[in-house]
Amino acid sequence: MNNSFLRVSIWVYLVIFFLYLLGPLVIMSVTAFNSSAFPRMTPWECLTFQWFGELFQDQRILNGIKNSLIIGAGTVILSVAMGLAGALMLTQIWPKLRATYYTIIIAPILIPGVVLGISTLVFWDRINRMLGLGADSFLSNGIFLTVIGQSTFIASYCMLVLVARLQRYDVALTEAALDLGATHAQAFRKILLPFMRPAIASAAVLAFLASFENYNTTTFTFGEYPTLTIELAQKVRYGITPAISALAFIIVALTVFFALLNEAKLKRQELVAAARKSATVEELAGKIKLPSFFAGNMAAVLLVVFAVATITVVGTATAYNPGQCIANVKEQKRVEAEQRIQELRKQREEQRKKREAEEVEQGGAQQSTPKPSNNSGFGNVFAPNTLGGDAEEESSDTETPPSNNGGFGGVFDPNSLQTDQ
Amino acid sequence: MPGFLKEFFSRNGIGMGAAILGLVLFWTIGLIILPQLSMLDFSFRPNLPPPEIGGPKDVYTLENYKYLIYGPEGGSQSYNAVDLRVFFRTLLAAVCVTIFNLILCYPIAYYLGQSKGNHIRIFAIMLIIPYWINEILRAFALRIIFGETGVLNTLFVGLGIWDTPFDFIRNDIALYAGLGYAYILLMIFPMYNVIESLDKNQIEAARDLGAPWWRIHWRVVIPYAKPGISSGCTMVFMLSAGALAAPQILGGPSSLWFTQLIYQQFNDNNDWPQGAAYAIVLLVTCILFVLAMMRLFKVNMGDIGK
Repeated sequence: MNNSFLRVSIWVYLVIFFLYLLGPLVIMSVTAFNSSAFPRMTPWECLTFQWFGELFQDQRILNGIKNSLIIGAGTVILSVAMGLAGALMLTQIWPKLRATYYTIIIAPILIPGVVLGISTLVFWDRINRMLGLGADSFLSNGIFLTVIGQSTFIASYCMLVLVARLQRYDVALTEAALDLGATHAQAFRKILLPFMRPAIASAAVLAFLASFENYNTTTFTFGEYPTLTIELAQKVRYGITPAISALAFIIVALTVFFALLNEAKLKRQELVAAARKSATVEELAGKIKLPSFFAGNMAAVLLVVFAVATITVVGTATAYNPGQCIANVKEQKRVEAEQRIQELRKQREEQRKKREAEEVEQGGAQQSTPKPSNNSGFGNVFAPNTLGGDAEEESSDTETPPSNNGGFGGVFDPNSLQTDQ
Repeated sequence: MPGFLKEFFSRNGIGMGAAILGLVLFWTIGLIILPQLSMLDFSFRPNLPPPEIGGPKDVYTLENYKYLIYGPEGGSQSYNAVDLRVFFRTLLAAVCVTIFNLILCYPIAYYLGQSKGNHIRIFAIMLIIPYWINEILRAFALRIIFGETGVLNTLFVGLGIWDTPFDFIRNDIALYAGLGYAYILLMIFPMYNVIESLDKNQIEAARDLGAPWWRIHWRVVIPYAKPGISSGCTMVFMLSAGALAAPQILGGPSSLWFTQLIYQQFNDNNDWPQGAAYAIVLLVTCILFVLAMMRLFKVNMGDIGK
């Protein structure tokens, strides 16, 4: 009984955990299709693809993507090279130096990105000054600084990935090549590099992703070349629009696609290897009957489903026109707003009537008192209540605009201004 | 030429050896050590306009560090209460985020490490996918959820649990959720790596000897997983204390993160030495704190990062 309770609770826990992990991404992706000008799930207005169109017309985003790609390429080259050199050095460094060396090259992972950005900026600024170069020299160029700053810690990630594979490398292979007359460069290119290729590929992917999404370091070094992440941060900080959700949706979809692709490929290799293993000698000599591509490969099936869904969505997007629905929602909002105004008016009218009645009563009561001040010819104009009443009316007036459904069509809604940015 | 270098070159050849050595030296000295030293040096200098740098006024001074503690000279307060409060709040919040993440991730890491099967791979993919998505977009997603008209508020107001929207952002709940969210993977992976290598027989032996499940964790799994736990905690602590994007996007208008102060010094006040001094203070404090914690929990430095 205790055991089954534990099992149930761990499943509940897993569900909650993955909701926390994936829920935000799902919600964000869904908001990309809502026509509401503020990214939200509820109230659902209309299915629309307009935010994708808006996204692709945004020059700053496109420019940011361009800069990100350039910087990403530079970072991949530099940090994989440094990571490989660092890993090779780690395997043959003098044992006494090893611990110190390891601490130094692992430290950038733990140093806050902000600190790395600042130190890069300060250091290269100083070098620039020492060389007597101007403010627009190559060394103070945003792309150069960003590549340098990011590579400082991304190289450490690459080194970790590469050293894991390098540890399985048999040095005898290189030695054999050298004995057979290869030069060191040839041995490196023909023996070591092919062995390291899978690790280099994953290090490169890792480096590119890390560079693409880096914010903390880049924000100090980018200069005139804002990357996509910087542009996104500016947009998000000063107002959020569903166009960002649309971008997020594209990134999520691409990520899922490549994750499935990779998984399907791995599974396929596994299945093929398993089939080879169980094959008889006869089969091996002739043709091996390989399992079909989809058999036992969940990821591949999902991949195809995913691709079909994408094609369907894109297909609908070109044919679908949400104009009518948006017009309906607008009309509905207008009607609602009018109703609300009417109600407000009615309420105010009632209040006024009530107040007048009260004032009459009060006035009557006050007149009966012997106090002389109230009997002036100005009636109750100077009574504090009347002024207060006016003020109240004003405040109830000002209360209407902030609500999104107000009669002003959301002009005063802070979000409407932000979307213009 | 020392023996070590000679051996290195004879092993790798002159050309290859020079390339490897050059890259490693460029990385370790040119990118890691010198910039940090340069920043340290810079933090002890006054804020001068470019023509005066290197001039007679460019002398070492403690002024930037004094500013953090005592505030501007001639100020009304004897201590720089605003910045100091932000600093300690940042550290405290980073500790809280770390503990929250540890509690949240330990069961998952244990589960993933100890069970076998196809679904583990699916879980692993589901864990990794959020980390391929931009940091800014992750914070943005949480802002959609926690915003005043966000999903949570609509839900709770709609259900009638609250009558007015609850301001998650002003109360920093969004910020803590965002920071915790950002570093889940960094907490899980080191723990998972260690727990995966734990021999299942040890757990079974403890169970056979009559230990209840919590004692198995306390006496067997946690001591074994200590290196993983400590590297996870170190990473999460350092990264959340040094986070900039999440506080900028999810932080309330009245509460600042220490990195935001550094950012302001650099970008708004244009006072680089001051910003560098703040960065040094943050870095040194974080390192000292981590070292103290490692001493307290008896973890070796060598275990970290394995």
